[in-house]
Amino acid sequence: MNQAVDLLQGTLDLLILKTLALETMHGWGIAQRIQQISQDALQVQQGSLYPALHRLEQQGWIEAEWRPSENNRRAKYYSLTRAGRKQLEVETANWERLSAAIRQILQTV
Amino acid sequence: MRLQAPISAWLRSLFNRRKMNDDLAEELRFHLEQQIEQNVAAGMAPEQARRQAVLAFGGLESVKEDCRDQWGARLLDITLKDLRYALRGFRKSPVFTLAVVCTIALGIGATTAVFSVVDRILFRSLPYAHAERLVSVGITAPIEDNEFMLGANYAYWREAKLPFDSITSMTAFDSAMSTCDLTESHPLRLSCLQVESNFLSTLGLRPVVGRNFEPDDNRPNAPAVALISSALWQSRFGGDPAAVGKLMSVDGKPVRVVGVLPRDFEMPTLAAADVLFPQHLDWNAQKTSYPGSVLRCFARLKPGVTMEQARAQLQPLFADTLKGAPPQFRNEVHLVVRSLRDRELGDSSLAAWVLLAAVLAVLLIACANVANLLLARSASRQRELAVRAALGAGRARLMWQALSESLVLALTGGLAGCALGYGLLRVFIGIAPKGLPRLPEAGLDHRVLLFAVAISLACGILFGMVPALHRAPAQLALAGTRSSAGSRGFFRQFLLVAQVAISLVLLAGASLLLRSLWKLQNQPLGMRTDSLLMAEMTLGQNRYPQPEQQLAFFDQLESRLRRVPGLTALALSDSMPPGGWEHYRIYAAIAVRGQPRFAEGTGGPVDWRAVTPDYFSALGIPIVRGRGFTERDRDPDQHAIILSQTLARRMFPGRDPLGQQLQPGLDGPWYTVIGLAGDVKNDGLAVPASPEYYVVRRHAGGASADPPNYVNHHVFVLLRTGMKAAGMAELVRSDIAALDPTLPVTIDTMRQRVGQMEARPRFDAALLSLFAGLGVLLAAIGIYGVVAYLVAQRTQEIGVRMALGASTGDVLRLVTGKGLVLIVSGAVVGVVAALGVSRLLTSLLFGVRPDDPLTLGAAAGLLVTVALLATYIPARAATRIDPMVALRYE
Repeated sequence: MNQAVDLLQGTLDLLILKTLALETMHGWGIAQRIQQISQDALQVQQGSLYPALHRLEQQGWIEAEWRPSENNRRAKYYSLTRAGRKQLEVETANWERLSAAIRQILQTV
Repeated sequence: MRLQAPISAWLRSLFNRRKMNDDLAEELRFHLEQQIEQNVAAGMAPEQARRQAVLAFGGLESVKEDCRDQWGARLLDITLKDLRYALRGFRKSPVFTLAVVCTIALGIGATTAVFSVVDRILFRSLPYAHAERLVSVGITAPIEDNEFMLGANYAYWREAKLPFDSITSMTAFDSAMSTCDLTESHPLRLSCLQVESNFLSTLGLRPVVGRNFEPDDNRPNAPAVALISSALWQSRFGGDPAAVGKLMSVDGKPVRVVGVLPRDFEMPTLAAADVLFPQHLDWNAQKTSYPGSVLRCFARLKPGVTMEQARAQLQPLFADTLKGAPPQFRNEVHLVVRSLRDRELGDSSLAAWVLLAAVLAVLLIACANVANLLLARSASRQRELAVRAALGAGRARLMWQALSESLVLALTGGLAGCALGYGLLRVFIGIAPKGLPRLPEAGLDHRVLLFAVAISLACGILFGMVPALHRAPAQLALAGTRSSAGSRGFFRQFLLVAQVAISLVLLAGASLLLRSLWKLQNQPLGMRTDSLLMAEMTLGQNRYPQPEQQLAFFDQLESRLRRVPGLTALALSDSMPPGGWEHYRIYAAIAVRGQPRFAEGTGGPVDWRAVTPDYFSALGIPIVRGRGFTERDRDPDQHAIILSQTLARRMFPGRDPLGQQLQPGLDGPWYTVIGLAGDVKNDGLAVPASPEYYVVRRHAGGASADPPNYVNHHVFVLLRTGMKAAGMAELVRSDIAALDPTLPVTIDTMRQRVGQMEARPRFDAALLSLFAGLGVLLAAIGIYGVVAYLVAQRTQEIGVRMALGASTGDVLRLVTGKGLVLIVSGAVVGVVAALGVSRLLTSLLFGVRPDDPLTLGAAAGLLVTVALLATYIPARAATRIDPMVALRYE
């Protein structure tokens, strides 16, 4: 297994929103998807994933719905709301500014 | 909406907790099962797969807890838990809880009741539109307390350019002269006032039914119209809107009702008003017949104009007015523009402020007390708190808990306080004198209740934070060492000194008021008030329009009443001391034969009365020289006059007044001085006697013997008797009814009448004493609590001392010494503060200086005694400590 990277504070929200922008998903699926896409570089801890989901739901950026899963179990599916979509744009822009700034520093110094 | 989602989520979390918990559990279980399935697929044995999955997941419960934290109702959860915990704690220490709740209840109850009273008097808006722009305008002169206007001047004022949107007037009759009779099948005595046609519109009011007066109604000889009060509308017309346009018979004349006044209508003078009539004044005639009618004027300031600006702008007009005034008045007449509220309150406002300050002081003491009690409690719980802190409770969490505990106490106390306040308010209204404006309608309303709750919450936050801010370091507390925290000790001592000082100020104020009440009640009145019955009546202008008819009625009444058994003296007078509605003349208006006219200003008012010969014996007023009136003096050809000693001294210094001749009205007959009467308190109880003279009240046929301004229709009948007052009153009532069954009569004993005049000071003194008593009681509880706490803290030390041979006296000294220092410093601060504060009471005092050393000393002595007693009880308990027990103590 590759070495896992600790998630930067606040980036988990961004990753969740981005993942849900592609497709409606349950908590397990979100964790799997982030892991797959990052090629196991990013490990999402359940201990932070679920509180984050509940927080985003509380803020109205995502909403939940109970539905049968692929293997026909009852699962809680999250999807992005309109406010969430807007938030995703904001956070993406923020992230890009931040990473550009960091790259700039790393390159010059 | 952005906020909708969070709020609905929050509400859901509040009401759907169980469902949400189940959902959360299922969501996490699903995750776990997915993981197990994945593990199995990766080739693990089912047992192994489950184990690995659970391991990978981490603490299931802590994840759940973290999720729940996101639900928003977390604070509520904690609070509920804290509340349950607090209640459990209170059950365990009922004495502490009771002491705190009672202290708060007393503080808040008193505050609520007094605020309800004071709110009506000081803060509640007047029932007029934009009342803050309404002012009372007029001039003051030595003969009248409140500002007035003369018709001859006002006729010009109303046409001039003024800093007012509008100015209006009412005819300023005294209560005895503003009566009229509803002369219908059920005769009724009403109070009627005459107002200018723009009166209601200036006040910003409109009739609830019908129309307002119009300028045409004000013309002399216009058809008679009237506005009636809501109460009269209800009682006379059953609240029927068709009443407008109907005719009423007032004083035998038909009057058309044109409108109904609002239900909460009150005159700006607070005079009773059942019916308003137009003034019917001819302003051109007023201009030429100085002084014209006496008026009260009210005006609405233009927006943005202050009272000072208005006063300045009125100066030229006022200067013109002065030119028209009689020369001797010019230096003593002043312009007055003051707010309606000031006009209405008069001297009630000082008493109201004093009351409010007193009760806030009590509240302050109560709060200090509760803070002290909570501090003592928190000190004994240091260990428990340290344990909680060690187990991971943050400072904020501990503060929140302390806060919710004191909020429970504050709210319980506040609730009990509201009940207490309701009771107290009923008591206040019960014992309040008549003069306090608007008191009878005072009730605990929303605003007052809100005020009480706000205070109780503020108190809760205030003293909830104090202990929380003073947490001792955890290590110390956990080690079991009782910290004798220096800073906290200082704070508690400061609270104690403040309590003693504030209580002393209250006590000093109350003692001053009580002492002046005692002086007021025990001063010589110059007359006898025992076994004297008094009947007051006013003949209606309708049945008795002529002075001769009025005199004839009272002649008949006099001869009937002479037959009442057990009578020792019977007298009639047109007014009564002390401080009824006297007639007065300015001193300068009395001419003395052979003396130059008095020319230095007005000389102030001189009271006068028309009385029957027995007036002096009925009231026990001594005739110190010459003789009293006889029946012969009542004949129209006799003109006798009796002077009070004060007047005689002033008018004839060093000469014999007997036989001198006076002309009181500057025209009319000359009167001969036949005697001197002793001085009587004739101007209220609290001021020295005014100079006074007496003329005789005539029989029928003698009305033309005196100047025409004699008041013959308003009479007090005085009966001195050996009989019980109640039986006598019935006899008098039936005698009057036999002559005129429709005539309303007020019967009082002289004692009651004088008692009513003392009612105001008695009310002030009673309330302030109540608060002073409360304050002292609370301070005593506070001192007791602190000393008892000190003793508990030093039990071990005391035990050691006693084991080493300290005597009871030594221990007593040790414990009380500290308390004594605090009490004495509190008393010193209190005396200094009381000296400053009591100065503000000066106008409420009578016969006592605000810095009266005897009163202050007594107050300080009483307080120190009570305080020492409060230290002695726990100190005494300290001497009984068993050294063995004490040494093992914790």
